[in-house]
Amino acid sequence: MTARAAPAPLPPATTVGLQGWLRQNLFSSRGNSVVTVVLAVVLAWFVFNLGSWVFVEADWTVIISRAPLYIVGLYPYEGYWRLCICLLLISVLLGMSWRAWPNAARRFAFGFGAVILFVGVFPHEMAPEHRALLLLNLPAIGLGYVLTPRPADASPGRLEAIAGGTLAPALERGAIFSTPRRMISAALVALVLTMILILGIAGVPGLDPVNPQDLGGLMINLLLAFFGIVCSLPIGVGLALGRRSSLPILKVACVIFIEVIRGVPLITLLFMSRHILPLTFPEDLNIDRVYLAGITITIFSSAYMAENVRGGMAAVHPGQAEAARALGLRDWQNTLLITLPQGLRNIIPAIVGQFISLFKDTSLVYFIGMLDLVEMGRVSVQGNQEFIDNGREVYLFIALVFWVFCFSMSFISRRIEGVLGVGRR
Amino acid sequence: MAETNGVHAAVDIPADKAEILARPLEERDDIVVCENVHKWFGDFCAVRDVSMRVKRGEVVVIFGPSGSGKSTFIRMINRLEEHQQGRIVIDGIEMTNDVRNLDAIRREVGMVFQQFNLFPHITVLGNITLAPQRVRHLPRSEAEALAMQLLERVGIPEQAGKYPAELSGGQQQRVAIARALAMQPQIMLFDEPTSALDPEMIKEVLDAMRELAATGMTMLCVTHEMGFAREVADRMAFFDEGALVELGPPDQIFNDPQEDRTKMFLDQIL
Repeated sequence: MTARAAPAPLPPATTVGLQGWLRQNLFSSRGNSVVTVVLAVVLAWFVFNLGSWVFVEADWTVIISRAPLYIVGLYPYEGYWRLCICLLLISVLLGMSWRAWPNAARRFAFGFGAVILFVGVFPHEMAPEHRALLLLNLPAIGLGYVLTPRPADASPGRLEAIAGGTLAPALERGAIFSTPRRMISAALVALVLTMILILGIAGVPGLDPVNPQDLGGLMINLLLAFFGIVCSLPIGVGLALGRRSSLPILKVACVIFIEVIRGVPLITLLFMSRHILPLTFPEDLNIDRVYLAGITITIFSSAYMAENVRGGMAAVHPGQAEAARALGLRDWQNTLLITLPQGLRNIIPAIVGQFISLFKDTSLVYFIGMLDLVEMGRVSVQGNQEFIDNGREVYLFIALVFWVFCFSMSFISRRIEGVLGVGRR
Repeated sequence: MAETNGVHAAVDIPADKAEILARPLEERDDIVVCENVHKWFGDFCAVRDVSMRVKRGEVVVIFGPSGSGKSTFIRMINRLEEHQQGRIVIDGIEMTNDVRNLDAIRREVGMVFQQFNLFPHITVLGNITLAPQRVRHLPRSEAEALAMQLLERVGIPEQAGKYPAELSGGQQQRVAIARALAMQPQIMLFDEPTSALDPEMIKEVLDAMRELAATGMTMLCVTHEMGFAREVADRMAFFDEGALVELGPPDQIFNDPQEDRTKMFLDQIL
């Protein structure tokens, strides 16, 4: 008979599994147990009350009957199909990201698909062709996924994700970044097409130009946020480099710009862009307030971004610059190839935090007379005898929409941090 | 040297180097000339009046107590620190503020740091090919071939695709050596290359340095590895309080130091 090793002893039942978890986390001491019970009662009471209001008492007609206003504002009905196409483009991009960076994008793609499916099958008033175009987003995600080649090497710590998301066009030459150029070109093409589809081109049948003032609802929050995010990162990087520069005039100019913009509330800047800046324009120049708002938000955000980037670059170990100099790299090469990429990697959480706050700040454009999601909510409650008592429903809905977007950004940020190994050296 | 030390006799030595190595040290030309070099940090004089000539292909080990100016001294040889008085000439190029001179000198001099200072955001291969591509403008394929050859030489070609953080300290330092060699320098500076390593990794780095010395590379090494110094160094330089106290062959330094301070220091550490 062969001797058998005794089986490894099992841990005591009270330390593992559900029982163990409960004991360790909720009932580890008498005081802890009391806190657990009290909090559980309070929470249950809160959830029950809110739930019974949401599902029984609340009247969601105010949202469902006016859904298009919240989503796209006063955008002309004939143009809805153009917006549907834009959404399809986004879905394709999402599918591509899912394939290229599964860790960062997979769950997000699932969540997005779930929302599309919910809105697509929900029994509300919606033209069948729009419903069909909406549901077409699900195969569009799949199409993007199939179109993208599998990443050659999915080992963690690869730089593609950050390079693809931030500074790839400037840096991806050579052996250092093997960025999927395809993704970046696809994103740029989609961006241009989206702008054309939304705003239209004069003279092209079916693409009648849309008055920018008719853009509203969630769409204007998203457009302003996207424009602000895409532009404020490179501008912020430029300002940060300027502030680190050894050229005194450039440095002073950047410092003054950053400190002036950071010292003024966004709402004041918006007001100035709308009512004071135009005084300096030539008389026949009429820039729409939508563009002024976009530029103002971008400038505001880049000043904060500049300080984030500067902090991230300052945190890069000085030995890195010494090694670069010892190898004969010039200062600008050291900045672009060594310090900046590491600095940006250091501050991904701060960058995303900045983007989240920028997205929420876009609701301030009501101040210059634009009908964004929040303002649209206020108008539909206060401007309508019928819905005058439905404020709670409207603002709860708006809060939920903002939360979904901000949480998605935060989620993706944590995923990218994981992929890039932020916090590891 | 390869013959005298009997290390890695099989190493390939380029013809021009072999010719130089065939000559005795005293008949070779000076590749590093320092005359009355001074350096201050504020009021503190970190390096005072150091004069030293290093022959082509010579290995000089620099040692001394911490704060004695030995690191500052070798950092002046590639201008990571600026000398404020005196004269430094590297392979015939005078060290001045002229950017062209500085570029030429940095191309002549490679450096390995105590903390490795590899670039953490690019792969091992990327670390080694970066400067050859950006500074020497080698095509990518050529730079990568060179990098693989150097990784082969330091014994870790299989690590090319990894990121520095995935390597052990000894492997990282060997990558750092390969990275410096990829610029094909005439002189290599080592600033305490083994001080941040665990004992079992020190040997692999010293082996790479021994091999390098055997190929006729001019080396200035700040190190406390006295066994390595005894075996590989042509001369040893003892620094104390910013001054070059004694300079001589290992035999003299270990067995017959001419200065009391050298003797006291060696008594403490050996």
